[in-house]
Amino acid sequence: MATLKTPKTRKLLALAAGAAALALTLAGCSGSSEPKAAPKHDLGTPVAGQIKEGALDGVTLTFAGSGGVFQDGQTKALWDPFAKASGATVNQDAFDAGKLKAMVDSGNVSWDIVNTTQFDTARGCGTLYEEYDYSKVDTSKVPKGTITDKCMVPQILYGLVVVYNTDKFGDNPPKSAADFFDTKKFPGKRTVSQSTYVDPQTVEFALTAQGKDVKNLKPEDINGAFDMYKDLGDNVIGWTTGAQAQQQLEAGEAVMGLVWSGRGYGAASAGAHVAPMWDQWMIMVDSNGIPKGVKDKDAAFAAVNYSIGAEQQAKMTELTSYGGVNTDAKPKMDATLTEWMTTEHLDTGISPNVDFWVKNYDALAAAWAGWATGN
Amino acid sequence: MAIDSVTEGDVSTRAIALGADPGAKKRGPKNWRPLLLLIPAFVIVSLFFLAPLADVFVRSVTDPQPGLQNYQWLFSTPGNLNVVMRTFGTAILVTFVCLLLAYPYAYLMTIVSDRTRNMMQLFIMMPLWTSILVRTLAWMVLLQDTGPINSILAAWFDIGPIPLIRTTFGVALGMSQVLLPFMVLPLYSSMAKIDKRLLPAASNLGANPVTAFFTVYLPLSKPGIFSGGVTVFILGLGFYIIPALLGSSKEIMISAMIQQQISVFLMWGQGTALGIFLLACTILILVVVSRFNKSGSLFPGVDR
Repeated sequence: MATLKTPKTRKLLALAAGAAALALTLAGCSGSSEPKAAPKHDLGTPVAGQIKEGALDGVTLTFAGSGGVFQDGQTKALWDPFAKASGATVNQDAFDAGKLKAMVDSGNVSWDIVNTTQFDTARGCGTLYEEYDYSKVDTSKVPKGTITDKCMVPQILYGLVVVYNTDKFGDNPPKSAADFFDTKKFPGKRTVSQSTYVDPQTVEFALTAQGKDVKNLKPEDINGAFDMYKDLGDNVIGWTTGAQAQQQLEAGEAVMGLVWSGRGYGAASAGAHVAPMWDQWMIMVDSNGIPKGVKDKDAAFAAVNYSIGAEQQAKMTELTSYGGVNTDAKPKMDATLTEWMTTEHLDTGISPNVDFWVKNYDALAAAWAGWATGN
Repeated sequence: MAIDSVTEGDVSTRAIALGADPGAKKRGPKNWRPLLLLIPAFVIVSLFFLAPLADVFVRSVTDPQPGLQNYQWLFSTPGNLNVVMRTFGTAILVTFVCLLLAYPYAYLMTIVSDRTRNMMQLFIMMPLWTSILVRTLAWMVLLQDTGPINSILAAWFDIGPIPLIRTTFGVALGMSQVLLPFMVLPLYSSMAKIDKRLLPAASNLGANPVTAFFTVYLPLSKPGIFSGGVTVFILGLGFYIIPALLGSSKEIMISAMIQQQISVFLMWGQGTALGIFLLACTILILVVVSRFNKSGSLFPGVDR
């Protein structure tokens, strides 16, 4: 840099720096401009699963989901038929909460509907997610208790279920959350979520095993739950992705696992000798969230309204093995799928204490961060 | 070779930065003109590298409020430093494993026929063309307690299952396989430049093969060791998917923690503080390591 002395060079460099700064400012400005006023659509009174033909001609919506077979099934069962009926174009993208925050913070939201968890919408309601106008979505057939905050309409109903190896425990299967932690009666390795994604239900399951009622939790219970898993020592192995959980069950490496119902079904339909334990299973609900600052709220509401129709939900269940959110849905199910279908076992499921976890999220996050990093 | 061309590119950039072509001694006042060529690069680097980096740094001291609370959190949470130590430990381990495997391999490449060398090169490059995820899943199948390795051990030697997956061993194995080409290629390119007659000359002067290797060959191959080592080490620091799939929670590295802070907790201040800390540590280590390189250059292999 010794030769950077002539005034001309300095000027040029200053110019370049100025141009860079200008470009950055412009990029920032275009992000923060106000969204244009949303066009009015003639949508009429909402009925789940229906839309006036061509009502959203020329509208483009983007759905951000969790990827894999699940999103493929959603695309086929929900969004493609919606696009065809309404005239809208529906794009697919992959959801990430960090990316959503970036979009909302910069005022440049390119997603219209996202598939996220009920805890995410509850925590971010009003800041990251728009509140629903329930007069524009027909929720009359949505299973009771699955709408857990004002910013969500359920997307699917699934569960965190104990899945056990029937070759090992076929005659004497585990029958309670406590059995999962009883390595004397049920020897062998168990797999549990150790992914970076915080999972309140995994904690609630351990507390249920201690005989606690999830409706009545205290912050000091949280660490006790993680101690339950840590006390399993070498008998506990972790899964960081759903695919890994399924693989560990299929390989017979884990004789028991606390896994997503769809992954247990995946292992069973791949021929693994596994069965679900429907005593004390943990109910999970994914949310249809509408990002804060979305350009066309009414169109997004209409899409969600269409997606929760009985016919759409039945098809979605057939394609993904996850439970639908319309009580009228009658999916065609073979014996295996029926055995694994969460909506057939709602009476023995335990609903999460969403309010408690929203209120105590920081304590949960700190404990979970330690659990997920082996500390 | 990818690494080699980068090195050469750096040399020529340096020549331009000095304001003269490498031969010319004189630095006249008019020689600033070649600097103009740097402006596009300067603009691109500021826009796509410096500006985001500055943003990351600013965020780490302003989010959610101005102050050093994110760094305070980093140093006061005991688990964090564990993960940082583990990350550097794993990267160092993998660098040594790669060096031990790559050194003889690269040496062999310098003495075999052209055809064999091409084959050897193909073997090194082929894994680079296969998805890391696919290779990691293959390791998962091989290493698990019920996998082929443990089955053979049980059937033939009646031992096991030996824990292979969810151990540091499994993670180091998977990472070394991915990073090995980044060690072999610079090593080979620096060994190929070594005059083959030096070793016979050394033994003529009375050195036994071991002495000849340590006093003649090894020092001459040092530039390759440094550039390969630095590349593997830095790439190794950022691994995410292999520790997640082949390790347990006890092998999780800093990249997973950053992802968790950014994408799950939405604590961007803490996530960026972790990133800046990792960057600072990396630069520090590079500076220390470069002291052991004769030229003292941060980018070994450039100055010679």
